[in-house]
Amino acid sequence: VAGIELPHKQWPELIEALLSNTHQVVAHTKQATLETLGYICEEVSSEAIDQSEVNKILTAVVQGMNASEINNDVRLAATRALYNALGFAQANFSNDMERDYIMRVVCEATISPELRIRQAAFECLVAISSTYYEKLAPYIRDIFNITAKAIKEDEEPVALQAIEFWSSICDEETDILEEYGGDFTGDSDIPCFYFVKQALPALVPLLLETLLKQEEDQDQDEGAWNIAMAGGTCLGLVARTVCDDIVPLVMPFIEENITKPDWRQREAATYAFGSILEGPSADKLMPLVNVGLNFMLNALMTDPNNHVKDTTAWTLGRIFEFLHGSTLDTIITPANCPQIIKVLLHSMNDVPNVAEKACGALYFLAQGYEDVAQSSPLTPFFQDIIQALLNVTHRPDAGESRLRTAAYETLNEVVRCSTDETASMVLHLVPVIINELNQTFEAQNISSEERERQNELQGLLCGCLQVMIQKLGSSEPTRSLLLQTADQMMSLFLRVFGSKSATAHEEAMLAIGALAYSSGPDFAKYMQDFYRYLEMGLQDFEDYQVCAITVGVVGDLCRALEGNILPYCDGIMTQLLKNLSSNQLHRSVKPPIFSCFGDIALAIGENFEKYLVYAMPMLQGAAELSVRTSTDDDEDMIEYTNTLRNGILEAYSGIFQGFKGSTKIQLLMPYAPHVLQFLDSLFMGKDMDELVSKTAIGVLGDLADTLGSNAGPLIQQSVSSKDFLNECLSSDDHLIKESAEWAKLAISRAISF
Amino acid sequence: MAPHDLRRQYKRPAISDQHRRRELSLRRQEQNRRDAQLQARRLASTLLSLEQASAEPDDVEIVPEFEPDLQSE
Repeated sequence: VAGIELPHKQWPELIEALLSNTHQVVAHTKQATLETLGYICEEVSSEAIDQSEVNKILTAVVQGMNASEINNDVRLAATRALYNALGFAQANFSNDMERDYIMRVVCEATISPELRIRQAAFECLVAISSTYYEKLAPYIRDIFNITAKAIKEDEEPVALQAIEFWSSICDEETDILEEYGGDFTGDSDIPCFYFVKQALPALVPLLLETLLKQEEDQDQDEGAWNIAMAGGTCLGLVARTVCDDIVPLVMPFIEENITKPDWRQREAATYAFGSILEGPSADKLMPLVNVGLNFMLNALMTDPNNHVKDTTAWTLGRIFEFLHGSTLDTIITPANCPQIIKVLLHSMNDVPNVAEKACGALYFLAQGYEDVAQSSPLTPFFQDIIQALLNVTHRPDAGESRLRTAAYETLNEVVRCSTDETASMVLHLVPVIINELNQTFEAQNISSEERERQNELQGLLCGCLQVMIQKLGSSEPTRSLLLQTADQMMSLFLRVFGSKSATAHEEAMLAIGALAYSSGPDFAKYMQDFYRYLEMGLQDFEDYQVCAITVGVVGDLCRALEGNILPYCDGIMTQLLKNLSSNQLHRSVKPPIFSCFGDIALAIGENFEKYLVYAMPMLQGAAELSVRTSTDDDEDMIEYTNTLRNGILEAYSGIFQGFKGSTKIQLLMPYAPHVLQFLDSLFMGKDMDELVSKTAIGVLGDLADTLGSNAGPLIQQSVSSKDFLNECLSSDDHLIKESAEWAKLAISRAISF
Repeated sequence: MAPHDLRRQYKRPAISDQHRRRELSLRRQEQNRRDAQLQARRLASTLLSLEQASAEPDDVEIVPEFEPDLQSE
């Protein structure tokens, strides 16, 4: 109730009334009061409560947390309440005395005899690490000691939070350092205090020790999370934060443990190695990986322990992910490549969790050859790889450990990164996958669990076909050979829409978009059957990803069918306009809908006439909104605003270009002043990103080109046609410059008459 | 107050292939849209350049404003 009333300044006496309860002698009442205060802080935004009340809440909460509070339930409720109240405590954390006091109470609570209190207190420290990173310097030494003791000695729920504190500090410092952008003078508001770097010599041994505390069979349990997993994850984050400095601290542990008879030691050493592969430079890692690679390949084949093999395959995947690719001195050579592939394919017959990691490693191995132009080192093994992956998908235990998904996803990456040399093999794979998809429809009267599996498989197979359509459709002659199977594929995709799975719908829709793009005008024959599903996709507000993908497919259809999309435009435009007016639809779908207006207008030209009266006011409203929100400080909002502006501008471009040469250009004249005003506001707002600048200056050209001398005087009055244009003409970005050249040419013609 | 869930990604790639499929499709669609608009502009600007050139008979050299290369970006 407070969550509803407090933001409206109703029930003003509530907080005072609750606070008066905290002096109660009855522990139950005190506990319930603190819990209620905690819930209120969790539910209500910080603006809804005055600072004076925040102060009183914090005082009551911190008093309840104090070691002098003998009732554990009260102390626990207070500690949890503080966790929720931290977001309100900006002012209090800026005051040295108040902050010192809060920090002291929190740190004391981390050594309470009661486990739940210690756990909650560490949760507070984790939250403080991300909310008040910049205030932590005076306390970090003490916090290190507290967390170190907890990681070493405390029970798992507490130790996990203590590790999480350092993971969270790593996140903060990586974010700050990324904002610095390498020059250390960047515009980050918060300085980096290098807490991780300072703690490194003591922190790394602590984390390495946790790696030895694995649970048996943890890799078979999808939901498992324990101290070894948390420690390794934190070690990986530390490596990303401090880069090269971590390597000498970890290598002795690896060397000491990797050949030990106890599987825990071998696994911990391998996990440590895998964890530090992201962050340190290739120069630092390459010699170590070169030495370790053969050992790992051998371990994957022969280690008697599944857990060790799982981590070894994962580590190989990390090696390929971070140390293999066209821009690097790759660790994969013609000499070791055959052996690597042999081992990975062999491991695909291993237990599901190991086979899944082997698929993952192959995924990154293939990805490293993404940019090879003509000949890929994978070509000689291509057929074997495809066959091995298909075999995996048919394993009776492929449902375990995400194995089937991993195999199809690896198949996708292998296809994406393939070259012309293997195009015929990819072509042969198409009917195989079509057949697999066809077979999923054969099982009737199945249980809901089996139905779910069937839908998942349909999604994977549609994904696979999408990748192959994109690959084979991108060049002749594979495109025409691929399209011989288009009828079959399309009829199966339409059957997938009969399922109730949003993921399967999304995958089928993506595949259809790719097929439309490859088919071009020939796609028209499927439109009658497909249209109802297209409309269904556009109406799917709940699964907004499906809706977003469908909007993108409308664009594909416009480019494929051009004028032939006209019979379907009334329905599509009605739905798109409805979507824009809805406050239920996720906001991220709205900018692409505007871009889609441009696609439709470009395809149907002056036939867009009847939609102008609906679309233009929508665009105008959104444009005004996007200018008004330009002063917002929120980074997400700035990004969204730029996406929205780009969508609006793409709509204008498509509309102007679509009407070009039409006798009906006069219909656009009433809207021209607003479009120019929008461009001027964007220019004067000075907060456009480069993409918006490029699109905006392009719109100026399109407007001038289509309206010509009709708009000459208007254009001359606009700031955009002078200052903005000049700015873009001297841009370093060649795309902005090219659009500006276009605008200059079109304007000079428009004003010369 | 539900206990804070601190589980992080464990031995999983940062981006799933499903996410990649979606991103690659969106990128292809954006690229196709830009190509379509660019093609229209390049055609128009070539015509405009020719028009301007023919209006200035002294200028014998006709240089189209843009290369008719649709591959870039």
